[in-house]
Amino acid sequence: MKLYRIWGLFLRYFYNLLRTYDRLTDVFFWPLVDLVMWGLTSRYIAGSGLGSNQIILAILGGIILWIFPWRGQYEITVSLLEDLWNRNLVNIFATPVLFSEWIVTLLLSGIVKGVVSFGFASLVAIGLYATNIYVLGISLLPWAGLLMIFGWVFGLFICGIIMRYGTKIQNLAWTSIYLIAPFVGVYYPISSLPHWAQQVAHFVPASYVFEAMRASIMGHPTPLSQLFWPFILCLVYLIIALIMLYSSYREILKRGLISVE
Amino acid sequence: MNILEVKDLKKTFKKSEIIKGLSFDLHEGEILGILGPNGAGKTTTLQMLLGILTPTSGEINIFGQDLRTHKSQILEHMNFSSTYVDLPWRLTVKENLIWSAYLYNIPDRRKRLNQIKDLFRLEKQWNQPVASLSAGQKTMVNLARSMINFPRILLLDEPTASLDPEVASYIREFFVDQRNTYNKSIILTSHNMAEVESLCDRVIILKDGLIVGNDTPSVLAKKIEFSRLRLRVTKNPLELDKLVAHHQLSISVNENISTITIKEQLLPLFLYELTKKNVHYSEISIDKPTLEDYFMKIAKGENT
Repeated sequence: MKLYRIWGLFLRYFYNLLRTYDRLTDVFFWPLVDLVMWGLTSRYIAGSGLGSNQIILAILGGIILWIFPWRGQYEITVSLLEDLWNRNLVNIFATPVLFSEWIVTLLLSGIVKGVVSFGFASLVAIGLYATNIYVLGISLLPWAGLLMIFGWVFGLFICGIIMRYGTKIQNLAWTSIYLIAPFVGVYYPISSLPHWAQQVAHFVPASYVFEAMRASIMGHPTPLSQLFWPFILCLVYLIIALIMLYSSYREILKRGLISVE
Repeated sequence: MNILEVKDLKKTFKKSEIIKGLSFDLHEGEILGILGPNGAGKTTTLQMLLGILTPTSGEINIFGQDLRTHKSQILEHMNFSSTYVDLPWRLTVKENLIWSAYLYNIPDRRKRLNQIKDLFRLEKQWNQPVASLSAGQKTMVNLARSMINFPRILLLDEPTASLDPEVASYIREFFVDQRNTYNKSIILTSHNMAEVESLCDRVIILKDGLIVGNDTPSVLAKKIEFSRLRLRVTKNPLELDKLVAHHQLSISVNENISTITIKEQLLPLFLYELTKKNVHYSEISIDKPTLEDYFMKIAKGENT
């Protein structure tokens, strides 16, 4: 892998972001909307005596941390879609760019935009609700990392499907991660799910992070060692997703990159 | 010296064999044209040479390396331009060339970008999004991008389509100059026969996925035996008709110009006989067979 090629590809996506207002609003607008709506709701619940200020932090913390898997997945799939809409895959792969370099660039773009969105949302939470997610401390880093990898898994997996079947199923790019969201427990504890759904949640790495966040807010921090299993799970999913995506890439090379749309 | 070698290349799509075993080579400093009717397999062949379409079987060796195993190293020194491929349309011309330049790790990038801007006359469009450009301007940007890495081999798919005649002529001269000065090798496809005839050292004619002609444009054209003799007859036109019938030639008349299709060897005798029969004419022209005639014959499925 060559860093200069990764940087070149990164610039291509970065320039596109700057020139695409709807992509820019993705970075700032939706986190803001979620924060305003859920922040006000949780403030109402806390103020009405139905809950405490910890509820505000738990809900807003959930929204802010959810940015990582959401951006991680969204960035990968929408970047692929834009390459398909632009018929630009040929411009990338008829150059020395390696498949792995392209993937690394997409993942890096997800990290950068995820961090920007996270930073923005966390500042908005402080400004609007005096709720500081950074009180959760250094644990935020491994949580964010795990959630980002979880987002990549989804992104790469959906990318593989879109590459193989084309843009006629492009809606998956926006909707797919919400299929798993109920099992993640962003706003509620996993114990509130039906028994069968709790069993599913055991195999959803992100659910462990939100449980750990809530436990930490309630004053019972979860040891980082308990994230070992979800981390391994995430890595296994990541490897499967990468294999699946690479197999789709090989498949479309047989049909011709120019024909993929 | 061969810089590119293709051996028994085949491509099958959904049980339909599109490319049926192509073998050809490209010499260093050569301009090779690939011609063929629509669907003959020209673009498919170029895609396989770029590694963006996997052949069903066969070998592609470029710079002495196998494209399957050394794709990235090979493509460092190749580039392409195609009317069928768009650049990211929201990015400006400059941005598109910057990110492309990074892919090839161009030394002194700024200088190269300025050279490219001047060579391809992109000064006015430099900071405009690609989406706002005309088809011809987009073609120029595509061509500019294809030159960013000083490629040793350039693949051009209809490079002058949508360019106005003056710009197309400039581009043709540019590529010939690149070949002459830097010994670049070029493979191009085009539907413009005059362009191919003037640019290419050698031409491969594809038909139904097979090579049916592989020679210099002039040699291919000579495979057509017939020339066209055009006369504006002013006296004794009936004698002309008799002579045409006698030699079993074909004739058509349009706006008083008689066009006779005649074998080149027969021309001196035919003109002598016209004089002898006292056929007068005020205008005469002889059109020798061209690459286009050869191509038309191939496209129509006639044997040469």
